Amino acid sequence: MVVLPQPGPPGTHAGKVDPYAMIGPTVHVRIPAQHTKHMFNRRLRLAVYGLLLLAVPSLGQTPDQALTLVTAEGRSQLQTVTLDGRRMVALERLTGPFGLTIGGELGNSSLTLSRGDQVIVLTANEGLVSVDGQLVSLPSSPIEQNGTWYVPVDFIGRALPLVSDEPLELRRRSGLVVMGDIRVPQVVARYRRTGRQGRLGFMVTPAIEPTVERQDDRLVITFDADALDLAPTNVSPDPLVVGLAADQNRPVVTVELGAEFGSYASVVEPALGNAIELVIDLEPTAPAPPPPAPTRTTELRPTPPPPVTPPAPQPPLAGVPAPPAGAPAPAATAGDPDLPALSELAAPRTIRAIAIDPGHGGADTGTRGPGGALEKDVTLEVARRLRNAIESQLGLRVVLTRTSDTTVALDERAAIANNNRADLFISLHVNASVRETATGAEVFYLSLAEYDEAARDLSALAAEPIPVVGGGSRVLDIVPWEMAQLRYVGESARWATTVADELSLRLPMSPRGLQQAPFRVLVGANMPAVLVELGFISNPDQEAQLTSPTFQTAIVNGLLRSIIRYRDEAARGFVTPTPLTPGAPGAAAPTGRIQ
Amino acid sequence: MKRELGIYLTLGVAAVVGAWVLFVGLPQWYAEPTGEEGAAPTGMTADGEFVEATLFYISDDGMQLVGFERRLKREPSLAEQARRVVEAQLAEPPPPLLSPIPRGTRLNGLYLTDRGEAFVDLSEEVTLAHSGGSLEELFTVYAVVNAVTTNLPTISAVQILVNGTEVDTLVGHVDLQNPLAGNMRLVADPDAEPALEGDTVPLATTPTTTS
Repeated sequence: MVVLPQPGPPGTHAGKVDPYAMIGPTVHVRIPAQHTKHMFNRRLRLAVYGLLLLAVPSLGQTPDQALTLVTAEGRSQLQTVTLDGRRMVALERLTGPFGLTIGGELGNSSLTLSRGDQVIVLTANEGLVSVDGQLVSLPSSPIEQNGTWYVPVDFIGRALPLVSDEPLELRRRSGLVVMGDIRVPQVVARYRRTGRQGRLGFMVTPAIEPTVERQDDRLVITFDADALDLAPTNVSPDPLVVGLAADQNRPVVTVELGAEFGSYASVVEPALGNAIELVIDLEPTAPAPPPPAPTRTTELRPTPPPPVTPPAPQPPLAGVPAPPAGAPAPAATAGDPDLPALSELAAPRTIRAIAIDPGHGGADTGTRGPGGALEKDVTLEVARRLRNAIESQLGLRVVLTRTSDTTVALDERAAIANNNRADLFISLHVNASVRETATGAEVFYLSLAEYDEAARDLSALAAEPIPVVGGGSRVLDIVPWEMAQLRYVGESARWATTVADELSLRLPMSPRGLQQAPFRVLVGANMPAVLVELGFISNPDQEAQLTSPTFQTAIVNGLLRSIIRYRDEAARGFVTPTPLTPGAPGAAAPTGRIQ
Repeated sequence: MKRELGIYLTLGVAAVVGAWVLFVGLPQWYAEPTGEEGAAPTGMTADGEFVEATLFYISDDGMQLVGFERRLKREPSLAEQARRVVEAQLAEPPPPLLSPIPRGTRLNGLYLTDRGEAFVDLSEEVTLAHSGGSLEELFTVYAVVNAVTTNLPTISAVQILVNGTEVDTLVGHVDLQNPLAGNMRLVADPDAEPALEGDTVPLATTPTTTS
C-alpha cells in the first residue's frame, strides 16, 4: 500500500503518479515491513524510473513552436514548451520583453512577480493568479520544474495586460503576441473552386487594403500593416493554387500558383464589422488566343464576321443623350439598312488591359492654373496613381501612353492603346475656363454627328473578299484607322455613363457631367474610350484640389470603381441598363464629396 | 376665209404670248433674287443694307455658349457674307459679352466648296493665345462653326485651318481633320432642357448690339 503524505508533493493523486510532478519535489514513500520482499522489486522499479527521470530532466517536456512577439521595434521569439499536454512558457522568458521581475518564493509553492509597484502572485497547482489584487483564471496551473516556473501561454493574454502600460494581446490562432499600438490585421483565407475557375477570399479585420502583385508563379499579397494574423488555411492543391503561406517577417501572404493558372482579377469589397474582403478570381490559361491587334492604318478581322449581337434595341441609357427623332441612327451604315450598326460590330470582350492616357506632356503643357499648376503634371500623377490601383487591386494590365513628361501626338496615343490590345481607354485631362466660377468634372465620349459621312464610307469598305494562300478566299472587314472608334460608340456611351456615375459620387461634377464631343484622341481608339476632364484648374479652389493627394485618390477610386462595374456588366452581357444614382451626370450638383 | 385665218393666227399668237408671260415672264419678274446676287441668306433677316446674324459668346457661368443677334453689313455674295460673319465672330464683343475666340485671332481667308463646306483659315493666335481647356476649345471651334452654319444654312459644315494648314486640333482636343457641322448642344437655351445631339435650339435674341 502506498501512503501519500499530506500535503503531498505536487503531482501525486490516489496512487497515480504524475511523471511531470516527479521530476521536481521528492516523492516520499513509506513501505510496511511485511511487504518488504514484494515491495523490493517494486522499489527497485521505482528507483530505476526515478533515476531515469532525474537523469533526463526534460523528459515529458516537449519544445513547442515559439510565439512571435510583435512590437513597434520588431519581432522576437518566445519559446514555449508542452507540459502535460499544455502549451507553457517559462517565466524567465517573459521578464525581459514585459519588464517583469521575479521575486522570491513564498510558502505553499508560490512565487511573486512584479512590474513596477504591481505584483502578480503565482501558486503551483493553482489555476488562479493574483494580479495586483485581482484574481485571474488560467486554463491550467503554473508549474515549477527544477526551479523554473512555467505558466500557460494564456497567462500572457489574461494576466499581463493588467500590468502592462501598452496594449497587449495574445493571438493564439496565429501564435502572435501583439504589444503596443501597431496594426496587425486578422486575415482569414478561403479558397473555392468552381469549374475551371477558382476564387480566393481574404477577410481582413480591421480593414486594411492590400495590394496584389504577380511575381512569376506566385501572387504576392502585401498588407500595409506591421504584421499579419493569418489563420492557418488548408488549401488542397489543385491546378490553379498549390498553396498559401504567410511570410514570417513581413505582412505578406504568398499564393503559390499551379500550372494551369492563367490570369487573375482582384477586387476589394467592404465587409461587416470594419472589415474588408479581398476577392481574387483565378482564371485558367485561355484555350484560345486573343483576337489579333488592330494596326494603325487598318484593322483586319477574319471571316466569318464575329457573331453580331442581335441589334438589340438596347434600352436607352439613363443620362445618355438619345439621338433625336429624324437624326441618323448612331453609327448606322446608311447605305444598307440590313447591315448592322457599326457600334454593334464590336465583339463582346473580357476586360484584361486598360490604356490610360495622361493628357498633354512635354512642350504641350496643357492648361495652367492661377497658382501655376500644369495640366500635364496633374494628368500624369493621376494616371500613375490609377495604374498602381488597377494593377494592385484588379490585377489588370495597364498601358500608359506616356510615363514621363514627354510629348506624344494624339494619334500616337490611340495607337499605343491599340497596339497593346487595351480593352478600355481613358484619357485624362484638366479643364479651364475664362470664367473663374466654372467647376466640376466632365466625362466625354465620341460624338457621331461629325463622322456620319465617314461612317457611310465605312460601310462601302466593309466585307471585302480577298484570296488566301491555298485557294479560296476570306472576307476581311477593313476599317480605316481613323474610324476605329465608330464601332464602339455604343459601348463608350455605356462606359462613360458608368464613369460619370461613379465620379459623381466622389467629385464635384459640372452641370453637364456627361457629354459627347469630337475629340481627336478618341477617334482612333479601337476599344470603348472616354475622355475625363477632372476639374477646372482655372478655378483656384479646384486647382488646389486637383493637386492634392486626397482629391486624386478620390478620382482614382471613382475610375477604379467604374472599371469594376463595367467589367462585371460586360461579363454579364449588359443585360440591364446602367443605373444612375442621384446626383449623376446631368443632374449632378456642382458640389460633391471626396472619399 | 382669209378673215377666219386672221382670227386663228391672232388667237394663236395671243396664246403663245400668254403662255410665255404665264410660264416664263412672270416667274422671272417676280423671282427672289439669289444669294449670289446679294440677297440675305435664309438664316439671316435682311433689313436694307444690314442683316441680323446670330453670334456666339460665353455664358455667365462659363459653361455654355449663348447666342446674340447682331446687325451686320449685307454683302453681295455668299462668300463675302460668310467672311463678314466670321470677322464679326472673331471681333472683341462689347462688355459684358465674353468672346470664346482667343484675343488677336484674325481671319486669313475663307473658301467655299460646291459641296456646301466652308474652309475658315485663322491666324495662329487661335492656338497660341488659347487657354488650353477642352471646353474653351469646344467653344472656340463651335462659335465659328455655328456662326457660319446657323446664319448661312447653305453652308453645311466648316473646317478650320490655322495659317493655311490643316491641323489635328487647336490645343489638343477637338478633331479638326474633318469639316464640322453646327453643334447646338453647347448653346444655352433658357427655355428648354439641355439640347440633344442634332437638335436645333432657338437662340437667345436679346440683347441686340450693333457692330
